[in-house]
Amino acid sequence: MKFYVCIKMVPDVNAPLQIKDGKLIQDADRQILNAYDASAVEEALVLKEKHGGEVEVVSIGTSKASETIRKALAMGADKATHIVTEGNGDYDSGSYARILARFFENKEYDVLSLGKQSQDTDAGLTGSMVAEMLNLPYATNAVGLEAEEGKLIVKRQGDTGQEMIELPTPCAVTCSNDMNEPRIPNLKGIMASKRKPMEQVELSSLGLNEDDLTASTTVLGYEEKPEREAGKKFEGEADEIAREVAQLLDTEANVI
Amino acid sequence: MNKRMSTILTHIAIADGKIKRSSLEVLSHCKQLADQDGHSVEAVVVDTNASSFVEGIQKYGASKVYIVEDPIFKNHMNTPLLKALVKVTESANPSVFAFASTESTKDILGALAANQNAAVLPDVSSFELMDGGVKAKRPVMAAKIISNTEAKGDTVLVSVRSGSYDLAENETTAEVANVDFSMDDSELKATLKEIISASGDTIDLNEAESIVAAGRGVKDEEGQKLISELAEVLNAGIGASRALTEAGIYDPSLQIGQTGKVVSPQLYIAVGISGAIQHVAGMANSKVIVAINKDPDAPIFEIADYGIVGDLYKVLPPFIEEIKKIKN
Repeated sequence: MKFYVCIKMVPDVNAPLQIKDGKLIQDADRQILNAYDASAVEEALVLKEKHGGEVEVVSIGTSKASETIRKALAMGADKATHIVTEGNGDYDSGSYARILARFFENKEYDVLSLGKQSQDTDAGLTGSMVAEMLNLPYATNAVGLEAEEGKLIVKRQGDTGQEMIELPTPCAVTCSNDMNEPRIPNLKGIMASKRKPMEQVELSSLGLNEDDLTASTTVLGYEEKPEREAGKKFEGEADEIAREVAQLLDTEANVI
Repeated sequence: MNKRMSTILTHIAIADGKIKRSSLEVLSHCKQLADQDGHSVEAVVVDTNASSFVEGIQKYGASKVYIVEDPIFKNHMNTPLLKALVKVTESANPSVFAFASTESTKDILGALAANQNAAVLPDVSSFELMDGGVKAKRPVMAAKIISNTEAKGDTVLVSVRSGSYDLAENETTAEVANVDFSMDDSELKATLKEIISASGDTIDLNEAESIVAAGRGVKDEEGQKLISELAEVLNAGIGASRALTEAGIYDPSLQIGQTGKVVSPQLYIAVGISGAIQHVAGMANSKVIVAINKDPDAPIFEIADYGIVGDLYKVLPPFIEEIKKIKN
């Protein structure tokens, strides 16, 4: 099976952050491979190991994104395409989806796989947008994948249960990080990644210009979450404090 | 869009034969926005038995209800739902199309936006109309901060986190529009093989007034029994942290957090949960938070209204007993 896995470099949400004049500032400029995308890469590698085939990663981003792409290659992806952009601050999900749809228009593949969302914005739109633009059958929020001849079997986490969905290939799928633990690249993988092909593609060579990619949504600024104050903390004899809090939930908070 | 009279369309989700409360929260908010600026608010319901929900919908002020009824909607599948919503979007021509944020909504929102060339704001905690579009607040960076985002376009899709708005009844008589719908097997791109581990008679976390959530501190069957007992006396839904769903102790559909469900019940009781940011991202908007944890420095205490420092195995039995007394 030929897998294309779309990956993205994102800020590390665990790194400290602050807001100055509505702008988001992260002390350490830590950029990492989006965790959901890492799971998508891992699952493609597992299926390739089982059934054979090829895993190619595709990433849209500035020149810095090549570090993230290298990581996916070190995990075991066979090759990569880096769609190079000048900046990426103003693109929204629709912009990314239009670039990807254009890139995949004339490509041959069995499965187009993406993380279900970016861990910084949690929008979760690009996957189903690309699928619709390419008229591909798709499933989102996959927690398990199996491959069969001409088919991808997706276990999807739905609202009330898990849905087993059979997609004819070619198809698109978005992956949850609940499906696996992405492997940590070992030294051999890291060394090998340096020799793996990484093709750079300019937006203009895809026939796209900035006007085609104008976002319909704009981030005006960031603000602190309304601070949730720590309330009362009860320490002491378990029996006593348990009963006291139960009473307060009734008389003070009025929630039981 | 304040300049002209337009339509705000609300999607009404059905689960287990009932209208989802989160959909009615969104409808209540849309009705209020519409009244402010002289727009009309309409609703769409897609279900095997869609027409039976008109009464429940018009109670919240929708002046027109689009009905898409077909046996194919028995279980969620993205292709038929998308086809139905495209059809309704094209006939209602709304300036705003609002949804409650659920896994089913997330499954089609991007595709619907791409199909209709519409702008889209997913998973917002609030939204308002502005000239030519919508302005919304979105929790980002694992819900640590809020982004103020605007979307411009003739049609803007918005999905709203559950618990963001209060219900407000506003009885009206709705015009009913039956939408023709049919789907060939050939159009059905994917096949739904089966639904596994449907939670059955458990309480839907997005709809629950109270949630009891279990974390790593709940180590054994004895702990799980205490969680179930507490949930039962409170008529609460049971949720779990990622540690426990990954370990297979609780069903994955019960996971609360950035990856799982985002909930905002009236009462959230975190039992043996330390409060990692990924978990907090899924529950920080709960009205009242109670934390039970033996580590006094657990980060969950920083956001808890009532923090009980203690061993859950010692705290829960008297806690449950006292609540039983209050309830009687």
